[in-house]
Amino acid sequence: MDRFLRLIGFLVIIFIAAPLVIVVPISFSNARSLQFPPPGYWLGYYQAYFSDTDWLRPTFNSILIATATTVLTMVLVVPATFALVRHRFYGKSVADLMMLMPLAVPHIVMAVGYYSFLGNLRLVHTHMGVVLAHACLSVPIAFLVLSANLKGFDRNLERAAQSLGASPVQTFIHVTLPILRPGLFISALFAFIQSFDETVVAIFISGRDAETLPRKMFDSIRQEADPVIAVISTLLFAAVLLALLTPLAWSSIRKRLRKRPPAAAFSGG
Amino acid sequence: MGATIAKLAERPNLWPWLLLTPLAIYLAIFFLVPLVNVAIMSVTEPRLTLANYERVLVGALYQRVFLNTFLTAGLVTLACLLVAYPLAYLMNHSSQRTAMMILLLVTMSFWTSFLVRTYAWMVLLGNNGPIIAFIKAIGIEIPPQLLFTRFSSTLAMVHILAPYMIMNIYSVMRKIDPVLIRSAESLGARGFALFRHVYLPLTAPGIANGCVLVFVICLGFYVTPVLLGSPREQMIAGLIGTQIEEFLAFGMGSAMAMVLLAVTLAILAIYHRRFGLDKLWG
Repeated sequence: MDRFLRLIGFLVIIFIAAPLVIVVPISFSNARSLQFPPPGYWLGYYQAYFSDTDWLRPTFNSILIATATTVLTMVLVVPATFALVRHRFYGKSVADLMMLMPLAVPHIVMAVGYYSFLGNLRLVHTHMGVVLAHACLSVPIAFLVLSANLKGFDRNLERAAQSLGASPVQTFIHVTLPILRPGLFISALFAFIQSFDETVVAIFISGRDAETLPRKMFDSIRQEADPVIAVISTLLFAAVLLALLTPLAWSSIRKRLRKRPPAAAFSGG
Repeated sequence: MGATIAKLAERPNLWPWLLLTPLAIYLAIFFLVPLVNVAIMSVTEPRLTLANYERVLVGALYQRVFLNTFLTAGLVTLACLLVAYPLAYLMNHSSQRTAMMILLLVTMSFWTSFLVRTYAWMVLLGNNGPIIAFIKAIGIEIPPQLLFTRFSSTLAMVHILAPYMIMNIYSVMRKIDPVLIRSAESLGARGFALFRHVYLPLTAPGIANGCVLVFVICLGFYVTPVLLGSPREQMIAGLIGTQIEEFLAFGMGSAMAMVLLAVTLAILAIYHRRFGLDKLWG
């Protein structure tokens, strides 16, 4: 039983890794169509990506839209999370549930809704329209991350600050905010990624003027499977890898620093 | 000082409302109104009847698409479970370093965009891809068509959704106290009996979580079935897209969207009553 499960586990690793690994060599391929293994290697498709406005414009649109979505989401979610985690009030459980609803509704349903709703407001095919829609979809994710952080917050730290004479505003700025900073950062990062990756709603509402990168990729895959997609996939993949490895490397560096003799503690004290 | 704190404690009821109002107004306008709009369109487009629902629920084409969607979602969920359980087991029985490496791989897959992974499967299963090349190499002259079939879309969806299942199952499995396993073994439980009476009940919450999540996401999956699946065997989300984009049939599209929404919410409501919805994504 044990051996059998281990063998299957090993096969599953290959199954999970293979699609992640394959796009990298394809991006350096010199074949005109999808071919693996590639007949030869060059950087032509990278050059094609970085010099083609048809690809660069959607990339900038996506960065712009995801940034605006993140700002809007955080402005709305941060106060609401404080209310929901720190206060008890009538209707709280309904409010809690409402925060998660955008995550429960299939994106295709929202896409149909936004297509006609934003059309009525003349916001379809605009950056503004995509941002307004994406912020709704990012709210639950930002909320889940931030509320988990806020629940683990030791409120005695705030009480200590206030008992030492800090005003509520001072306490918030000098105690609450610095402690919550990692949580706020991760929450904002998740909101950004949610918007940057969101495909279905963007396909229906972003049009040609506010075309996002996923929409352009979707259209391109559907029509011709342009190898430039492999370039973008490799770049996105590298970004994910970097984002995952940075905290790991950082914590291992800190661990190593901590192992040094405590002389630093004396000089620092 | 004491007076201020007392005063703060006296008016705790206004603050939460003040903090919540901006988000509540925002969600009401930009989330609820579009959703209600879909409900309205489903009974008013092209005119005020329930005919759209009648066609969606009775029409042979739509019934087949719904059935196909449920079967696919069920199959994908089952396959994810079969893929995730051995891997979680392997992680739980490896050194910390190996487990960490596997977790990194799964997380990487999770964070890689749906589109990128769908595209990767297109390369893997394509006519000039490595799998077809392998089939040819072992002597089969006319390889089967893999891409744009039910097989390719199902396989890609399993790959895309498996991380949800793996993370859910691994998170409960790692919390199992090894003492329980050892005592079961000392009492004579081996192999399948150990799995059936010890592992399975202890990991059941993770399995339930993973299955609900994968099934629900799969029901409304648009991108992968549209790009990789057979055009003749659409899933419901793809058909909704076709109705809106190609036929501008907002009534039919909305009615199908409402049915999809109703099914999804029904499943989540059952889950919510039993476990609480916040646990599903937590």
